[in-house]
Amino acid sequence: MLTGPATRRTRLRLASMTDRDRWIRLMRDAASDVASQPQRIAELCVQMLGVDGAGISLVSDTGHRGVVCATNAVSERIEDLQVTLGEGPCIDTIRTGTPVLVADLHDRDEVATGRWPAFMTAAADAGVRAVFAFPLRIGAIGVGALDMYRSRPGALDDDELSAALLGAETAAVALLGLETSPDGALLDGADTGVGYRAQVHQATGMVMIQLGVTIEQAFLLLRARAFSTGRSLQDVSVDVVERRLRFSSEDL
Amino acid sequence: MSEDESRAGAAAPSGVHGRERALARTFVVLADTLVADYDVVELLDQLVEACVSLLGVTAAGLLLNDQKGSLALVASSSEETRLLEIFQLQNNEGPCLDCVRTGTAVNSADLEADRARWPVFVPEALSAGFRSVTAVPLRLRNETIGGLNMFSDAESVLAGDDRDLAQALADVATIGILQQRSAHRTSVLAEQLQRALNSRVVIEQAKGVLAERDQVSMDVAFATLRKHARDNNLKLGDVAFAVVRGSAEPGAVPPPLGP
Repeated sequence: MLTGPATRRTRLRLASMTDRDRWIRLMRDAASDVASQPQRIAELCVQMLGVDGAGISLVSDTGHRGVVCATNAVSERIEDLQVTLGEGPCIDTIRTGTPVLVADLHDRDEVATGRWPAFMTAAADAGVRAVFAFPLRIGAIGVGALDMYRSRPGALDDDELSAALLGAETAAVALLGLETSPDGALLDGADTGVGYRAQVHQATGMVMIQLGVTIEQAFLLLRARAFSTGRSLQDVSVDVVERRLRFSSEDL
Repeated sequence: MSEDESRAGAAAPSGVHGRERALARTFVVLADTLVADYDVVELLDQLVEACVSLLGVTAAGLLLNDQKGSLALVASSSEETRLLEIFQLQNNEGPCLDCVRTGTAVNSADLEADRARWPVFVPEALSAGFRSVTAVPLRLRNETIGGLNMFSDAESVLAGDDRDLAQALADVATIGILQQRSAHRTSVLAEQLQRALNSRVVIEQAKGVLAERDQVSMDVAFATLRKHARDNNLKLGDVAFAVVRGSAEPGAVPPPLGP
């Protein structure tokens, strides 16, 4: 059995709701400080998930990568390599919207897939053995990707996977407003955990048409309305879906 | 109560032969879907429709463990807000949560008698007109990845062949989620589950776009999406993505939807 880094002791046990809530709160707090958001979220992942480094890339509406942060030189190298080579787990996770989890880059089956030939070699040279990339995404809203690595082989266990997925979800919602709202005013702190609620996503699509805005803007406006009226995102969304609430140009 | 009685008054195809034909047709459609380059959410949607038509239940939904500590609805036989909320409510308590936790089928032939078992869920389900419920697990080896949840407006319980059929449909769903890829790596399950969950979110967003643009119900919006995908041999998820992204990605925009 491999032993993880020393930080492993601080890892969360998400089976416990207290730990789960604590983790979401930590991520939200990290996201509330606009200037350092991506960096702090990446650092939290390293502290809590038993990985050796983490990085975040943000993509613009047009799919170009924007802000990039990393917790150490190896993580930075992983981000840079993928931009330079145009291939790798982070590129794939943004393109497909699916997590890419590689427990061991040297694994025979993994090598046999033939994906990212240049990245595999360069990452191994940089001392990377396991990579985990998570999309920062809400349906068709692509925000970016959260990458993590280990210098030794080893899959994420169930708790680590849960924490990474929850972290990516929280980060996606928090970082969505980063470019459009420099003052962070839209980060309400009350509803950053979207989870899966059909009506929230249906309402987002409806508001997009009502106002002629992008899906990103529609989501932010929906969230802003929930915040300004002190209601949950779910409740406001149900009103939109049931056509009791309609957004007008005054909401812009 | 016998099986025949349990289906009395429901919409199940009448007569043994009618039902067998419907069953054969369903599995031909499913088999056809599984060999092609298919869309997982569309397959799951066909499965919940098959549940309603073959088992004579009033409503069916498929919930997956989202690996973040919640159950997420990925397919529902109806868009009625009330029904969606009853499915979603089971993140806290209910037969589907019990089914996923234990990995075994959970039945309540008479919800009225199970008020103490699920004090929040039962009143909601009863007031929506449901009288009985069944949940069967989506199992992959030792893991339970979700549950197929069925409601009936009659006091009944799925038994015998019906229960086997429900489990068979749940097994098809499990196979479908894993797609053709071998699941020797545990990461494949996580990747495929998350793919299905995100695809569902895109479809919900696209339904909202069409419901507002055409001023139709969510059910009609979904039918429009599905018809467009089928008529043009496109994946449902791809069509939904193009609808939401609109002009942002010209290459992905399909011809205008609608009549």
